[in-house]
Amino acid sequence: MKNSTNEMIKRVRFHGRGGQGMKTASRIVGTASFLEGFFVQDCPLYGAERRGAPMVAFTRLSKEPILERGLIVSPDINIIADETLLGDKNANVFQGIWEGTVTIVNTHYPASHVRNVHGIVGEIVTLDVTEIALNVIGESVLSSTAAAVVCKLTGVISESSLEKAVTRELSSINLKKETIQKNVQAALICFDRIPEAHPHYFEPIKEDKKDEIVKLEYADACLGSPSVYAKGSTKLKKTGNWRLFRPVIDHEKCSRCYTCFVYCPHSCISIDGDGYPQIDYDNCKGCLTCFYECPKKVISKDREVKAW
Amino acid sequence: MVKEMLTGNSAAAWGARLSEVDYIPAFPITPQTEIIEVISQWINDGEMNAKFTNMDSEHSMITAAGTAAATGARVFSATSSQGLLYGYEMLYNVTGWRVPLVLVNVSRGLSAPITLEPDHNDVLSARDSGFIQIHAETCQEILDTILMAYRIAEDERVLLPVLINMDGFYLSFTREPVEVPGKDEVSKFLPEYNPKHAFFKASNPMSQGVAVLGGSAYSYFKYQMHLASLNVLTVHDEVAGEFKRIFGRSYSAIEAFKIDDAEYVIIMSNSFTIKGKAAVNKFREKGLKAGLLRLRLIRPFPSNELKTLLKGKKAVAVIDQNISPGSGGILSKDVTTALYHEPDRPEVILSFIGGLGGKDISHAEFNHIVEEMEKSIETGIVPETQLLYTKNDLDQINNLLNIAGKTLEELRN
Ligand code: SF4
Ligand code: SF4
Repeated sequence: MKNSTNEMIKRVRFHGRGGQGMKTASRIVGTASFLEGFFVQDCPLYGAERRGAPMVAFTRLSKEPILERGLIVSPDINIIADETLLGDKNANVFQGIWEGTVTIVNTHYPASHVRNVHGIVGEIVTLDVTEIALNVIGESVLSSTAAAVVCKLTGVISESSLEKAVTRELSSINLKKETIQKNVQAALICFDRIPEAHPHYFEPIKEDKKDEIVKLEYADACLGSPSVYAKGSTKLKKTGNWRLFRPVIDHEKCSRCYTCFVYCPHSCISIDGDGYPQIDYDNCKGCLTCFYECPKKVISKDREVKAW
Repeated sequence: MVKEMLTGNSAAAWGARLSEVDYIPAFPITPQTEIIEVISQWINDGEMNAKFTNMDSEHSMITAAGTAAATGARVFSATSSQGLLYGYEMLYNVTGWRVPLVLVNVSRGLSAPITLEPDHNDVLSARDSGFIQIHAETCQEILDTILMAYRIAEDERVLLPVLINMDGFYLSFTREPVEVPGKDEVSKFLPEYNPKHAFFKASNPMSQGVAVLGGSAYSYFKYQMHLASLNVLTVHDEVAGEFKRIFGRSYSAIEAFKIDDAEYVIIMSNSFTIKGKAAVNKFREKGLKAGLLRLRLIRPFPSNELKTLLKGKKAVAVIDQNISPGSGGILSKDVTTALYHEPDRPEVILSFIGGLGGKDISHAEFNHIVEEMEKSIETGIVPETQLLYTKNDLDQINNLLNIAGKTLEELRN
């Protein structure tokens, strides 16, 4: 059965890490939809604000006034711009996806691989937008490319609205004309690479999942207050999968000056028994401070492509 | 007029800009910071002609706002949550000075535990300060309310500061199409401020906020503040009428949604109201006569309007997005008090707490609210304040408690 109100609205959820451009991506899609004459809402949600931490952003576009706000629990389009988030339980990137969801993953893997590994329902589209961004823009900022993929998959946003929206949004954050031009170019490439909107797309969204009301009872204050009693919990949280680039030390040429050891802001470099620096890849965030600071220039950076 | 995609924060900045404010003392706090970033950028770029000062705290900020307003300057400022509380002492001072500034609060749940999402314990803590309070539902309403707020605050019958509330994240960071009025229209609506009451000048010394010893003097001035606040009930409607004439958008002290033939009425405030409206639509599809009221003017409290709107209704449910531990919901008390002496009042008034720290109010919760209203009418028994919480919520907190290693057995070992 068709549900008239749900047909009118499309809900897009963007997953990425702080600094990757997902807030801007949600805004580009928002502005492009606005230019197409839709009612629109877009908003980012951060946890504690820091670069590299998982974040989500949302865009709603609708033919009718939008009677909802805030988080999108069941997206029609779900884009995961950072593949390392796929395995991150806390990022919860598959929350609320259903048979009608189109999930887009930024990865060099084919869609079938993502389906096999994660067993997710709905349509899956993959595209290595990072590769396109690096080649065309020269940076791994994914706002325009991710937005372009989403715009195409909505099936209701034209190339020219996308182009205008990229220009408008990037001008508003004072990017240089030349950079904006490159972003437009990268966006149009992505727009072209994505096939037309999926036919299931217009099927109605599932009714709200049934939920029950519970009556809260008094709990012992050890439970009923926001404290953590377990020790050593910080070390359980590995941050190595935040890396876009992996620093690699050429120990043959290293002079053991310890500059990298001193500069690493995350204390991920230790000195081994022979006096050589060793990187803790479980936790190195790939900030590349060591790469820039090494006076002998013997640290190289390798693009991480298989982080999961 | 142009429509633009604006966040609630940018809409607030536009409100200040179009009101041609003279002075903005500021202090940043998430989720309010964007308001003062946008304004300071405009001033830096020469697009806005005002004095901007970054203060050392909200306490200084509110003091500076009040003292500047006492010189006859038009003053704007903004804060949120802990920031509002940090400046709390000065709220009562600036109302006592009877100065008409406008302060925006971007609501965010109060610590501890710390969070970034909204509820209204922050802004309602200023409930008794003497500030006029207007709570907004959309980004457009924030801009419009700021323009209206200066008209209300500067009215000779009022001369009290106005606190405007918007929900953090749900409005502050959310962009939606907002109509930005032209300068000419705004100047027709909001003329320059020419104070007859507060006008400190170097050549014109005076004393404000002087010490009084003895209850009769103190009471006199406090009572005057109360009477001034009550005048807003009239002034607000006049100002709203004129606003509608010029800009075409209309606002009342209480927004009524599908209320005329409604039997079951949900009362809410701020941006979560949209969830209530969606729920009302769903109930109506099923044939249930549901309606909704959104409390917009919180201080003064529009008791008479509420009485009229709720005359003859079967049941009312107030959802408070705040909690007064040990008592319940703050606004439900105002609603109940307003209705008590009305002969044709609703049969039952139920009180619910929901949406604290930005927790969703799901359709299951709205369903529960309506079922409880029906049950109360049938049995005549009205339950105590109910804390809205679902099985999903419970699963989430159990998951967190697990991560925190907090099973009772472990703790005792
Ligand atoms: S990339 Fe950054 S985190 Fe990793 S080892 Fe180098 S300095 Fe440390
Ligand atoms: S900074 Fe470079 S040369 Fe110095 S210890 Fe580190 S890797 Fe070796």
